[in-house]
Amino acid sequence: MSRPGRDDAPDRLYTLTGGRSRSAPDTPFDLVTLVVAECDPVPGMQSEHTAILRLCARPTAVVEVAAELGLPVSITRILLSDLLAAGRVSARHPRKAVHNGIPDPDILEQVLVGLRNL
Amino acid sequence: MTAPIPPARPATDRPSLAPSRGDRPGLRAVAPAVIATAVPAALAVVATVALADGTARAPLAWGLGAAALLLCAAVAAASRATVTARLLRRRLDSVTNDTGRLLQERARLTGETSRERTRLTDEFAAERTRLTEEFAAERARLTEEFAVERTLLTDGFAAERTLLDERNTRDTARLTTELAQERARLGTQNARQAAELRRARSDRAAAVSAAANAAGRMQALATGMLADLRAMEDKHSDEEVLADLLHLDHRTAQAGRLADSVAVLAGARSGRRWARPIVMESILRGAMGRIAGYQRVRVHSASEAAVAGHAAEGVMHALAEILDNAANFSPPTAEVHVYVEEVPAGVIVSVEDSGLVMGEVQLRRAESAVSGEGADLGGLSGTRLGLAVVGRLARKYGLRVSFRPSARGGTGVLVLVPQDILSDSSGAETPVAPEPPALPAPEPRETHSATRALPDPEPEPVRAHEFASHDDESAGNLPKRSRGRTLAEAERGRSRTAAAPEARSDADDKYRGARFGSFRQAVRRTPSDGAGDDTPPGDAPRERAHTGSAQDSGPEPSPHATSHLEGDPTS
Repeated sequence: MSRPGRDDAPDRLYTLTGGRSRSAPDTPFDLVTLVVAECDPVPGMQSEHTAILRLCARPTAVVEVAAELGLPVSITRILLSDLLAAGRVSARHPRKAVHNGIPDPDILEQVLVGLRNL
Repeated sequence: MTAPIPPARPATDRPSLAPSRGDRPGLRAVAPAVIATAVPAALAVVATVALADGTARAPLAWGLGAAALLLCAAVAAASRATVTARLLRRRLDSVTNDTGRLLQERARLTGETSRERTRLTDEFAAERTRLTEEFAAERARLTEEFAVERTLLTDGFAAERTLLDERNTRDTARLTTELAQERARLGTQNARQAAELRRARSDRAAAVSAAANAAGRMQALATGMLADLRAMEDKHSDEEVLADLLHLDHRTAQAGRLADSVAVLAGARSGRRWARPIVMESILRGAMGRIAGYQRVRVHSASEAAVAGHAAEGVMHALAEILDNAANFSPPTAEVHVYVEEVPAGVIVSVEDSGLVMGEVQLRRAESAVSGEGADLGGLSGTRLGLAVVGRLARKYGLRVSFRPSARGGTGVLVLVPQDILSDSSGAETPVAPEPPALPAPEPRETHSATRALPDPEPEPVRAHEFASHDDESAGNLPKRSRGRTLAEAERGRSRTAAAPEARSDADDKYRGARFGSFRQAVRRTPSDGAGDDTPPGDAPRERAHTGSAQDSGPEPSPHATSHLEGDPTS
């Protein structure tokens, strides 16, 4: 399935969350929730929290955070829930770009640029 | 009461030379003569005066009276002298008699004395002669007896000596032969035991190497399983499956630790080697992940130190054993606190539990176990491998481990990770957070704050000695890793953009496109599982994360509030 790489992390996923593997039922995060940091990282924080706060200085989707951290989305959601409970991030649902059937031209342009970059 | 003692009367019969009362004649002896003279004299005077003329009567009376008085005085003196002479003559006679008697007495005593002296002189001479003779006889007798005795003893001694000499010679000969026999016997026995020892040593070496080999294979299996599990955790986004996978992950990590312990004790090289320095946070989490009670461990660390890749696994393993000890020997609900402090000699990790206080003897035993000096496998028991493993690892990597009573009521363990296996944290990367590694630089040294195992986003108040906050890393400088680029390339690109930040703002469109690109990558599904094998290692976790994200897009989170792992914390 995979070879034991030399650059895995020694941290196991359950140690990041203290053994929790599922987020609370009322968590507001789904894959595309935009997360914005509300404060700067504080010394002594868990390094993942620091990374999330730096990453979310601009609004960033949950799935992007997960991809940047290299963590499963479930684990990322738990980390984000902790930060949200502490008031360090806020969650916002994305703009409904297609609510009237016509996509936003900006979005379409970004899609185009993204497709070209592939 | 008491009758008056009558005064002693002077002895009348003693011959006294003292002058008696008759020495001086009294008036009574003189008086008759004086009276006999005075009376006629007075008569004659009166007669004469009466016969004489009137004119011559007075002077005559005076003259005659004086003459009469003189006559009386002369008579008195003569009478007294006569009496005195008579008394003295009598005393002279008695004194002469006494003198004669005394002379006789002296002559008698002189004769007696000379007689007695002669007698005593004779007796002394006789006695001396007798004693001299007796002494001479006694001496002669003793001399003879001594000579006899000496002869006797000399003979006995000579006989005894001869006897002993013979016996000694006999014994010496016997012992010499016995010694030779014994030596030969011991020589053969020694040779046999040496052969047995060689055989035992070779057996032991074979057993140890077999154990090391098996442990190495178990380590490889565990490592592979952990990697597989991590890949599966990225792949399956269902929370039920993830919980089970995490549970399996935890069990496998503990099995891997056991295999590591066996490998360390068997002298094999320990576990895997990391290609880069591992930061202290990951070291501690890696150690926590290998013990059963990791949820009771509270880490207070703001250290940025990183352990060099070759030593990271050993440090992790030693800390895991110490944490396991602390968690096992404290009550099942008590927390184990881990503090990290940077000191000039390195990094001190202190593990404090609130469990049993170790006694003096136990502390000494534990100290000697972790000192790594008893390198033999003799003192091992089947269930207490931990401290021996720590001792081996401490000796190998130069860790210093010491025990002391903890202020929390239990035992505190101090582990000093020496400076020479620490490396600069600028080279360390946390793969789960691919941020610029130099970013957390504002975190101060010697800071105890809380990085909880249960993620506590509200850190405890930070006791910072020096807090240099340079927030020059804005969010725009965060590294963006586009597809196909490795992390190192992203790092280099980031440093370039950090050198020219204004160029970044010019290419805003491109940046937004890149953001969308990462979003697109996140939702892209991995074509097949088999394709993951030829993916570069740096990309593999990301790919699987994307797979999981795509699967997770549809359903809402599971309504189960408790996870499987929380239900089984100390399995």
